[in-house]
Amino acid sequence: MSSPVKFLVVDDFSTMRRIVKNLLQELGYNDITEADDGNTALPLLQAGSFDVLITDWNMPGMPGIDLLKAVRADAKLGKLPVLMLTAEAKREQIVEAVQAGASGYVIKPFTAATLKEKLDKILASRAAA
Amino acid sequence: MSPSNPETERYRAQVAALQSALDGGDVAAFHRAFESLCEQMDCGLLPELKRLTATAQSALARFSAEARLDTLAGHEVPDARKRLTHVVKLTDEAAHKTMDLVDSCGPLVDEAARGAAHLIKNWNAMTDRDAAVSGFLERTRTDSEKLRANLTELLMAQGYQDITGQIIRSVISLVDELEEVLSKLVRIAEGQEVTSIVRIVPQGALERGFGPQVAGLESVDAVSGQDDIDALLSAMAAGK
Repeated sequence: MSSPVKFLVVDDFSTMRRIVKNLLQELGYNDITEADDGNTALPLLQAGSFDVLITDWNMPGMPGIDLLKAVRADAKLGKLPVLMLTAEAKREQIVEAVQAGASGYVIKPFTAATLKEKLDKILASRAAA
Repeated sequence: MSPSNPETERYRAQVAALQSALDGGDVAAFHRAFESLCEQMDCGLLPELKRLTATAQSALARFSAEARLDTLAGHEVPDARKRLTHVVKLTDEAAHKTMDLVDSCGPLVDEAARGAAHLIKNWNAMTDRDAAVSGFLERTRTDSEKLRANLTELLMAQGYQDITGQIIRSVISLVDELEEVLSKLVRIAEGQEVTSIVRIVPQGALERGFGPQVAGLESVDAVSGQDDIDALLSAMAAGK
């Protein structure tokens, strides 16, 4: 890792945030911030210089798909890589997420290898950009 | 002069009030006097209209409550049973997976302890210390890697809490609605006026999400797993 990658992990379940945080640390990423829905995540994103957003879909406040759309609509955040990490499994939802600009889509329950693979892909295209 | 009683006296006063309002051209006072006269006569129309409206409202509320109860009892409660059964299955699997991983970690740690104890105990009598130490270190290194992999698996196994939590939340909101519909029906049965129509909770929407797939209740439109999603994403990327 040349420069530390800054992550924001958004999920309403603290257990899942902890799992993702632990996996990221195992992969060597230590700059991780957490939020429990889109409403708390968006101000953090706007205030901080995050490199990757990992978000759940189904959350009580602002759902992940709306957060994704808000990020893409924001001039400053527009190009931020966004990985959806969710149990939402309908094809129309995956299509919706991709059309809204998701950089990747990981379905729960997931494996550590899957998360690593999708993150590597996102970070590689970010480095190339 | 006709015989006087309290009732006729009240009418006389009201008629006089009507007359004086009319004479004075005071429409507002005339209306007030008229309403007061109506009230005293309990003149049928208004109360009857009120009663009919209440009955109609109750019937409407009962109808929508009963229709909703029908769906709840006919589909959503059986679905909820399947959801909770699925939760039991997921928690069972996660608990066993966790315990299996703990079981497989035990011998790895025991072996490291045994190897170290052996070295300490026999250190002075050893003829080939280099070989003994390097053998121990090599073994400890491979076992530690296995331990690390097991710890990651243990961590991942806890993901069941998110999945089951989402499913249980959906059942809680179903129970909330069931409670509301039943209490409304009880109030209607007791003859109490029920004015509001039963709230119909939307059972999931694209934007809010539908929650995890449940065994026996899978959506026809659902993907089967990560491979299916990756194929869909590739197809979309190719179609661009």
